[in-house]
Amino acid sequence: MDFPDNLFPTFFLPGPPGLSDSPASYLAPAWSDYMQLLKPPQTQDPSINPQHEASYVTKWGRWKSDTPGPLPFLLPGADPWDPELMSQDLLFRGRVKQPARAKATIDVIEQLNHFLWDHGDIAFGPLGMLLQENFNLGEKKKSRKNKMVMNTEWLLRDLNGYQPKGCPWAHLSTRQRRFSLLGGTVLGEEVENLLGGLLHEELETRWKRLLLDEASTGGALGWVPGAKPHHGQLVYPTGRAHDQLNFQKVKLSPTNEPQALGDPSHILLRGPVRQVVTRTIQGEALVAVRSDHHCALWKLEHRGPPEPLQVLEMEKEATGISLSPHLPGELAVCTRSGAVCLWSPQHGLQQIHKDPETFVFKDPSSWRWADFTAHPRVLTVADRTGLRFADARAPSDCGELLFRVGAEASCQRGERVLLAQYLGTPDPLPLSPTLHLVCTQFSLYLLDERLPLVPLLKWNHGLLSPPLLAQLLPPPYPEAPLPLLLGGLGGHLRMLHLSVGSGRTPQLAAPPQSLPSLIDSLPGFPVLEPHGQQLLQERLRAPLTGLAAVVPPGCPSPTMLLFQLSAAGDVFYQRLWLQPDTSSESAGSPSTDHAEDLGLNSHSQTSATSSLGTVSEPSAVSWKPRAVACCRRWLKTLLQVPPTLPSWTPPTFSQHHLRWLKEENKGKVQEGLRAAMAEGRLLLQGDLAPLPPSDPPPAHEPFGTEDKLSERLEASWERKGAIWWDGQRDGSRLPRKRQSREKRRTQLSSSFSSVRSTSDFSDVNSPLPHPPKTPSPLHRMSETSQSLELSQELWVKNIPRERRQTLRDYLAVLPSPDSGNCSIPQFQNPSSQSLSTSEPGKCSVPCSQNPRTQTLFSPLPESYSAFYSQNPNSQSLYSQNPNSQSLYSPEPAFNSVFHSQNSSIQKLPSRHTPSLAGSQPLRKKPRMGF
Amino acid sequence: MDAFSEELMGFVQKDNQVEASKDPVPEIHLPWLSQHIQSTGSHGQKGTNFAQTTSICLNFIQEALLKHQWQRASEFLQCYLQTLEDINSQKRQMAPEIIWKLGSTILYNHPKSNVETFSAFADRMKNIGVQNYLKISLQHALYLLHNGMVEDAYRNLNQAESWRYGEMSASQEKLIKLIQAYRGLLDYYTWSKKRTEVSSFDMDGFATNAATQDMHSYFRQASVNLHEIIKIPGVWDTFVKSYVEMLEFYGDQDGARQVLTDYAYDNNFPSNPNAHIYLYKFLKKEKAPEDKLISVLKILHQIVPSHKIMLEFHMLLKKSNKEEHHKLGLEVLLAILDFSGCTENITAWSYLAKYLKQIIKGKHREWVQEGWSSRKDWWPTFHFSYYLAKKNWKENRILALKKAFTSGILLGKGCKYFMYVSKQGHKIREKSIKTMKKFVMKHNILDSEEH
Repeated sequence: MDFPDNLFPTFFLPGPPGLSDSPASYLAPAWSDYMQLLKPPQTQDPSINPQHEASYVTKWGRWKSDTPGPLPFLLPGADPWDPELMSQDLLFRGRVKQPARAKATIDVIEQLNHFLWDHGDIAFGPLGMLLQENFNLGEKKKSRKNKMVMNTEWLLRDLNGYQPKGCPWAHLSTRQRRFSLLGGTVLGEEVENLLGGLLHEELETRWKRLLLDEASTGGALGWVPGAKPHHGQLVYPTGRAHDQLNFQKVKLSPTNEPQALGDPSHILLRGPVRQVVTRTIQGEALVAVRSDHHCALWKLEHRGPPEPLQVLEMEKEATGISLSPHLPGELAVCTRSGAVCLWSPQHGLQQIHKDPETFVFKDPSSWRWADFTAHPRVLTVADRTGLRFADARAPSDCGELLFRVGAEASCQRGERVLLAQYLGTPDPLPLSPTLHLVCTQFSLYLLDERLPLVPLLKWNHGLLSPPLLAQLLPPPYPEAPLPLLLGGLGGHLRMLHLSVGSGRTPQLAAPPQSLPSLIDSLPGFPVLEPHGQQLLQERLRAPLTGLAAVVPPGCPSPTMLLFQLSAAGDVFYQRLWLQPDTSSESAGSPSTDHAEDLGLNSHSQTSATSSLGTVSEPSAVSWKPRAVACCRRWLKTLLQVPPTLPSWTPPTFSQHHLRWLKEENKGKVQEGLRAAMAEGRLLLQGDLAPLPPSDPPPAHEPFGTEDKLSERLEASWERKGAIWWDGQRDGSRLPRKRQSREKRRTQLSSSFSSVRSTSDFSDVNSPLPHPPKTPSPLHRMSETSQSLELSQELWVKNIPRERRQTLRDYLAVLPSPDSGNCSIPQFQNPSSQSLSTSEPGKCSVPCSQNPRTQTLFSPLPESYSAFYSQNPNSQSLYSQNPNSQSLYSPEPAFNSVFHSQNSSIQKLPSRHTPSLAGSQPLRKKPRMGF
Repeated sequence: MDAFSEELMGFVQKDNQVEASKDPVPEIHLPWLSQHIQSTGSHGQKGTNFAQTTSICLNFIQEALLKHQWQRASEFLQCYLQTLEDINSQKRQMAPEIIWKLGSTILYNHPKSNVETFSAFADRMKNIGVQNYLKISLQHALYLLHNGMVEDAYRNLNQAESWRYGEMSASQEKLIKLIQAYRGLLDYYTWSKKRTEVSSFDMDGFATNAATQDMHSYFRQASVNLHEIIKIPGVWDTFVKSYVEMLEFYGDQDGARQVLTDYAYDNNFPSNPNAHIYLYKFLKKEKAPEDKLISVLKILHQIVPSHKIMLEFHMLLKKSNKEEHHKLGLEVLLAILDFSGCTENITAWSYLAKYLKQIIKGKHREWVQEGWSSRKDWWPTFHFSYYLAKKNWKENRILALKKAFTSGILLGKGCKYFMYVSKQGHKIREKSIKTMKKFVMKHNILDSEEH
């Protein structure tokens, strides 16, 4: 292997990270993020041989895409998806007293408060159990001798009385007073400390996971090339719990879109799939899967279902798995205990490193990562502070460091390793197989294992989400730079071009480029109503959990298919191809008129940049009808998926409401509660008690200008416009107001009646002289005419004398109001009208919302005894190797689980009836103790 | 609860404050934290309109850069220049560096940019904020070098070197050293040009003498600066090579050897394989004793067993008189073949086949067994699998034969690789197959263990 014989000059100054004083922070190879492209002067005279190379674009072309964003590849799954906890859910959103010193605060008090009130038995129960021995709750005399026992009989009797909660003027007996003075602080503190501590811990882990979800490091989308060059399989998890591992056969085409062949075959696992690694070595296609407490290995046959090779169960959570690029079936596995093992189905487990402490400095994170190196027996072990070699031939805990978060790599303060990846592959790449990629939250580093601690390349990626995915691709042309893809959890994608010849220092051949993420496809979808639009946006904004780039063979121009997997289980793809640059002739040559375009003497600092003039920019691609149709189809299926229940909704009733229920209802309530818990479903109102008889809520009754207009129109249609006008003008001004107020009042009372009994509202105190109940038409008429006369007189007073006579004459012609055929519509009975228009059967108590019994946080799926069991396809394959039960296991934390024939039959239901419980999304079970 | 929110706040404040914390190891710093907090809406620190517009502008520039829209980026950069007048003093201090980074990237990539534009921009940026003068000067000089403008680069470096502004910080001192080193390198380039001129002269002594003196002055200038930089720990391949070349030319062999030895064996320096190679090549040119050469390469073998010079090392060891060197010779070969990049190195395989034969004939079978014992659990799948036999036979028959021989010796005649290749060889009547089979039958280490 050739080692570059002339490295870029750089200082090497060991020290802690963040020494801004270190010249290495701005010197080669890290001296400038963007000026990386400059090459160091070689020993030959640069003036003789100017090191000016054609830029990437002019030499190789531009990577272009057919569509402005990725397109859906597979239809959305049947399971609904809701975004997990967001920062808005955790952070305090109330008003801040001092806006200038605004702080991010976790809104814990509100949650704790609710919990203590509504789940008092859970919050205080354990304490009660502890104290139970020391309290006599009214048993007879047996505990008298024991002085440690206190008789609380009287105390309880006092408590049984009327005790309004929180009322400062409530009567306290001396006993109660004494008890609360002595015990109050202790009892309160206990609960506060225990529960508060747990809650704090839970919130902290949630918050940390929100900021950095390390479980999905490495990505859960794998590509396995098939036997034929244009075939392959995508391996990815779906399902709400990410527990269904899918194998989707795909046909690639040199010119067209990739096609999914049939439905994916799937295996249901008993745990969420966090990472999928695929590798084809010596003709053997392998898929390794990491779950929280299990790791499993499958072998893919060209025909038939995937063959499970072995399952590994570990006590501590697994954080990383990688397949060896050298030896088929060999894996490196690491867990939170700090142990790193080499694992192969033939030779079992071999622990090669174990150190719960971090390498360079102390960091609380127990995240570990393991990958291979150019030597098949040497691994790299990574933690948040650095990378270290671990030799399988001579296991020790103090191998040489390959990378250290420190001044050598000019790391910043607070910088940590987030991803480490070995870039060597068995493919004959022009790359020397000794390169390692290290990503931190700020930068990307490229290291050669033969020159430890000195990064050969550093680039500040500037991603606003943790970069947890990376993939190196073969070069599009034999001598061309290698594309390196970097994916952030938030969907940000970057493409870099590494120029790596043998014996040359790796360098960036072109400025890094961003690739569209899923949310960039939003304009390709039709505009929906707000609810649907929000659903779509949330779906497209789902975290990016997998990335697989495939180079289809035999394409006329170099092509790359980029598959992306989101946390919602959606697989999108985008086709990129390298288009030779056509504008290179015009743009490549420097402009000739230097002299006048440089405003060097002007005071403006912008002179240099403003002189550039306009140039052609890479043109944007538009949405083509075919792509839009594809998006539409996908969207149609998505909108058919039933929406999820929100993971957390405000409770509609709580336990102490149950307690206050009447005796006759109690039995029924308990039954309903038990039934709901047994079935694991939500507690509905119907389970508790029959709904109180209620009137349907009143519908909106129009009374306003609109209504008046229609009346007027109606009247004028019947040529009675003038009468209406009169009646309107002076008839019943006051009564009308009163009437409408009355109307509103009745509506309110009827809506209250659904909650309380109607008897609460008596008409006795009603200020209305005329209750709206069934007024007689006769009475109504007389009232109107009275008021009409009355108001007429008043009105006349305001009219100039000379016109009064005319008016009187005019009025005399009109028919009198009480002539009978004049019915004024606004005097209809309001209550009857509201009843007729409202829809019957509406229930005022929302009953589909979550009861308070739901946990504050949805717990994770629980751990399982066996990793997978309901696989109809590969069930018979578990019994592959019944003899290999005796397995070398150096550490009790690791246990290999073999599925012997007996156990698999016992555990598995018949192959035709996959268990429902497994295939259903995991219901969020109450887990009160967090 | 309070502690947690304080901790949380710690992140936010760190985002905005200068790092002035006392603890040596700060907590993980996540650049996307502020985004999370701002998305909560009601209380994110919005800042002034000025801060908002500049940050939006910066985002636009970065977006344009990532989409290679250089023109768009340059237009936005003109607006971004307002940060130079930010009220926030900290941001104002940071601004020139950010602008320089963005601007130099744009100008480096912009299709209509040219050296003059770049130089004008660099000259302007150098004088905004004193902190960046040296940095920008150096990068500017490198840019000029990159474009073949050595004289301009030299002038730039000269200017930068003479720059003084108050007390120099430790990093600035180092930077000055680096600038001087680059200037020394350019002196060296001139020196080597003069040298070729002088060697091609067939003029009278006087002209030659003057040219030689001129050349010597360049040597002195260069050597002072280069000598300084290579004392500081770092990777200085180019500087060391140039310096040593000049020392050699003036006959200072001891000085050159000392420089190379220090560069290779100083513990403060990173373990750079090139340092050992330079020393080895120097000693070889000097016709140093073989033991000396072997000791140099032995150290390199421990650091980088896969280096291509290890094949040369093997030949050296083979030629040596000492038996321990012969034993090491086998280990060196096996170690090369351990690495995935060397699996198809035909030279290594043919060396190994030949050497195995020699060792077995020399009755040192135990060496083979010793070397094999740590590899027997993985070499069969790594090198001698059936798949690889087919592949190698198809792609490179000679390699397949060499490997088959080795596999036969190490794994016996029942080895899949050996069987496949000998069968295929038999089909096409390859002559060497027969002798190979015979040797393997007789001498493979498996059978000999049993006997």
